Amino acid sequence: MRSFEVIDSHVLVIGSGGAGVRAAIEASFSGDTVMVSKTIAGKGGCTTMAEGGYNAVLRETDSCEDHFLDTLKGGAYLNDRELARILVNDAPGRIADLLCWGAVFDVTGECEVAQRPFGGQRFPRTCYAGDRTGHEMMMTLLDRLASTDVEVFNEIAIIDLLKDGDSVAGAVGLDEKGEIVIFRSDATVLATGGGSRIYDISTNSSSGTGDGFALGYRAGAELIDMEQVQFHPTGAVYPYDARGRLVTEAVRGEGGLLKNIEGERFMERYDPERMELSTRDVVARSIATEILEGRGTKNGGVYLDVTHLPRHQVETRLPVMLEQFLKFGVDIRDEPMEVAPTAHHIMGGLRISSGGETSVPGLYACGEVTGGVHGANRLGGNALADTQVFGRRAGESAGKARKRSISLDEGQIDLQERRLAAFYAGEVNPATVARSLQTAMWEGAGIFRTGSELEKTLEMINHLSTLNLKAANRCNLIECCTVQNMLTTASLVVRGAILRKESRGAHVRKDVTQAWDASNSPYRHTFLSLCDEGIETGVWE
Amino acid sequence: MREMTVKVFRFDPETDEKPHFQTYLVRVNDGARVLHALHCIKEDHDPSLSYRYCCASGQCGSCAVKVNGEPVLACMEEATDGMVIEPLDLPIKRDLVVDMEPYLDQIATLVPAEECPLPTQDVVEQIKPLRSCIECLACVSVCPALKVIDFSGPTAMRESLRLALDPRDTGDRVAEAVEDGLFTCTSCQACWKVCPKDIQIPGKAIERLRALANEKGLTLPRHQTVEKLVRETGRSVDRTQETFLEQVPEVLEPYGEVKGTVGFFVGCMYNNRLPRTALDAMEVLRRNGIRVIIPREQVCCGSPLIRTGQIDYLNTLKRRNIDAFVFRGIDTVMTMCAGCGSTLKNDYDCPFRVMDINEVLTKVGIEPPARLELKATYHDPCHLMRGQGIRTQPRELISQVVDLVEMPAICCGSGGGVRSGVPEEAAALAEDRRIEIEKTGADIVISSCPFCEYHIMEHTDKPVKNITTVLLEGYREKDRRKKEKEC
Ligand SMILES: Cc1cc2nc3c(=O)[nH]c(=O)nc-3n(C[C@H](O)[C@H](O)[C@H](O)COP(=O)(O)OP(=O)(O)OC[C@H]3O[C@@H](n4cnc5c(N)ncnc54)[C@H](O)[C@@H]3O)c2cc1C
Ligand code: SF4
Ligand code: SF4
Ligand code: FES
Repeated sequence: MRSFEVIDSHVLVIGSGGAGVRAAIEASFSGDTVMVSKTIAGKGGCTTMAEGGYNAVLRETDSCEDHFLDTLKGGAYLNDRELARILVNDAPGRIADLLCWGAVFDVTGECEVAQRPFGGQRFPRTCYAGDRTGHEMMMTLLDRLASTDVEVFNEIAIIDLLKDGDSVAGAVGLDEKGEIVIFRSDATVLATGGGSRIYDISTNSSSGTGDGFALGYRAGAELIDMEQVQFHPTGAVYPYDARGRLVTEAVRGEGGLLKNIEGERFMERYDPERMELSTRDVVARSIATEILEGRGTKNGGVYLDVTHLPRHQVETRLPVMLEQFLKFGVDIRDEPMEVAPTAHHIMGGLRISSGGETSVPGLYACGEVTGGVHGANRLGGNALADTQVFGRRAGESAGKARKRSISLDEGQIDLQERRLAAFYAGEVNPATVARSLQTAMWEGAGIFRTGSELEKTLEMINHLSTLNLKAANRCNLIECCTVQNMLTTASLVVRGAILRKESRGAHVRKDVTQAWDASNSPYRHTFLSLCDEGIETGVWE
Repeated sequence: MREMTVKVFRFDPETDEKPHFQTYLVRVNDGARVLHALHCIKEDHDPSLSYRYCCASGQCGSCAVKVNGEPVLACMEEATDGMVIEPLDLPIKRDLVVDMEPYLDQIATLVPAEECPLPTQDVVEQIKPLRSCIECLACVSVCPALKVIDFSGPTAMRESLRLALDPRDTGDRVAEAVEDGLFTCTSCQACWKVCPKDIQIPGKAIERLRALANEKGLTLPRHQTVEKLVRETGRSVDRTQETFLEQVPEVLEPYGEVKGTVGFFVGCMYNNRLPRTALDAMEVLRRNGIRVIIPREQVCCGSPLIRTGQIDYLNTLKRRNIDAFVFRGIDTVMTMCAGCGSTLKNDYDCPFRVMDINEVLTKVGIEPPARLELKATYHDPCHLMRGQGIRTQPRELISQVVDLVEMPAICCGSGGGVRSGVPEEAAALAEDRRIEIEKTGADIVISSCPFCEYHIMEHTDKPVKNITTVLLEGYREKDRRKKEKEC
């Protein structure tokens, strides 16, 4: 083994999104904390991109019980009850932290945080900073982080978690020059975000490749409900190369109307009561059906129209949308947008306790990489709250972890070195493999699924996993590791989907007829780990 | 699918001695962005190409590059055939990847008070545009000031103002901003023009910070002197000779048929320091059928006060100037100082139309002058090119009389109160101009702003002339040749 740079800390946080930074801030109160991320902190991940808002109960007329019930109903009653309860109870406190640290949310004339309606919620409880809410949160979190002693390592990708016996004791990273960096820590927090980039059409940032699911899985952690992938109903369809780009739910929250090519407000046929503000799974399926049945536009979408709204409202409440579409030649004040579903959020992930502990000692997790909080379908605005609520909890628990002396497992590092060396000898461009995977996932494990197509997709993933990826130079090593992570994550999603023989929330099995609805389903979580997989049974009360 | 050629800057400091360009033929879909062309190169041609991106939707600020010389977000800018892609003008790490962290670290962070009063709706509305910055550093990469002097840069100033406005912050942001180079900004507007979020940093952040600095008594002494002079004399520079207004009647009739009438706003520099140039301009106007009305009671436009944050006396100036023209029923006011023009157009609410002399002359169409056997280069005044969007008109005029050789459009250092307030910076920027001028091999330098002309004149041994002076020389030459023929 060569000698490597070894960075020791009490807590290691992997990922610099909303969850990671929040965890790092909290952990820093208990000991040396290091935060490492694949991108420059604040620039990577999906938090920065979040537009719509943050759900929290702030008004007398609203209640945490209502928020809890909305979350459960939206989540098709698959949510871990305790985690969902914590989410709604802690969300107001965590937004208060952000406001104290300088977050510039929109306020009302009475100097209260403004809230807007979002899909699937009985109260307008989504707090926002225009349509750049996540960005505002990230900027605020980074400000707060700057006043701690947290040491930040930018543009280093974690390629494996380090094990010391049964527990996680740090991680192996790869810097931008392709050099290995070892992080050794008493507690490690995984906050790597989601992975919907495994699909051909996705809203996620370049780091949404599911690295954390794969890292956790390989380290022995248990993951739940990986089949639950949210397809956001409104992704842009033009230009083709930028397909999938999110058109925020705030557009519908502000009053945007969905219409098919015939000009019909088709939501009337699917959910006449909630119409455009139905839950995402319902709206996504409705749009997909309209398109499948030939009532879509030439570019393969339906219309999302805000031209009836006052121009001023579009300009002040949806400035990012306005600007983005203008760049692509559409003035949304005068013409409708064209939208179609896009892979957005992975509800499943590492199983955690209320304190963010995973099933592996020494490993904590928070944010989109975890499962359970959102059940089978996430409400818009609940993910940003999730990052803060569980970011703080995971950071706190990790900070309290026992100090220990860690021996480096040279065998494991050796293994990583050999893994990297093999890439130089490989023959397949990782980009090509990623492309094939994304297409296969979109076609075989998308909005509508069947057992046989899922099996075929799994075969494809298994085949792709046997190919030897090629690194053209040092800088490509990270890409090779990333594509391997995508393959693992995709396999977890498909295996979960095969295990769940019911339609529930975002997961729709066309080949299964069921006699129950979500609230009295005989099934609970699907689970997957290196040593076991299956589906839990039993009706929740 | 479309095919296009793309030229890309390549540099690996570990193996390459110096950077080079490589050309690729890429296939992209209709409407593809620059980023997609880069993806295509990486996937189909050369996996070793390095560039940054993350959100691919204009929200994270990772992907700024130069396309055909202009900073843009790769993920938002449409790809075009033949485009040249380079890294921003910042320290390069590899290919299109620049070192962003040192600049990001310069941006101040909020230090919260114990009590955290929420900002009011009004304050939130003021802060929001400042917060839409995605820290892409396009502005930093074009800022002339921070290339020659210690200055934390445009986006850092933007955040400093935000912090100064936020009741939750405890820092003394205005004093810090002064420390960090608040007075080194030349108001060149380059940062604003490249900002993908259209954040008007010089006007909306730097000038506001300077105004706050003024309230705290932190205005530079030399700027205070200028303010005093304006209050006392109505002019921002003192008189050294007979002024322009003293030399002309209130109305100048054209030599031939009247094609149009304008009111003339002369400005302090042309009135007090360079009256000769303004007189040349009058000759050119008269020769081209323009009737010029010159109200005597006009005063300084206030630009030197606005740029330096001393705005107490501003409204008085504005009122006097507007009244002077309105009183005479003038519907078009012509400026020939780029700074005055930009101020009247952007900082005033004028009840009349304001046009720069280059606009007036190209609009009426000038009598062709004789060609002079001279090679000239043109210096774009910041307040003309960026402040008023006037780029083609001066060139149209110049190329009728001399051969024009282009040079990059960079601030000469005379604006924003820098010439008086931070002379060493002004000199350093002018020196950069001198070098660019040398490179062109031109015999003369032409410009269209008294501040630029005066400042560049001091730093180059080439003659520096106003466009109208050169035109007039062309006319005189024409007359001379005609006379020669007649003889
Ligand atoms: C376009 C868009 C809009 C959204 N809008 C909303 C909204 O309005 N409201 C809402 O509640 N939710 C929204 N969501 C969902 C929400 O933004 C995310 O679920 C949430 O931000 C995830 O936060 P996170 O901290 O877990 O991960 P992220 O913010 O994604 O951060 C992940 C971090 O991990 C790092 N990382 C990844 N892999 C590695 C590795 N191998 N090594 C080192 N570092 C790594 C990345 O660089 C990044 O810093 C939106 C999502 C998207 C994509
Ligand atoms: S001010 Fe504009 S150009 Fe400068 S960093 Fe911010 S977004 Fe980029
Ligand atoms: S106006 Fe010019 S000098 Fe001032 S900050 Fe912007 S780019 Fe720099
Ligand atoms: S990739 Fe985020 S702004 Fe371009």
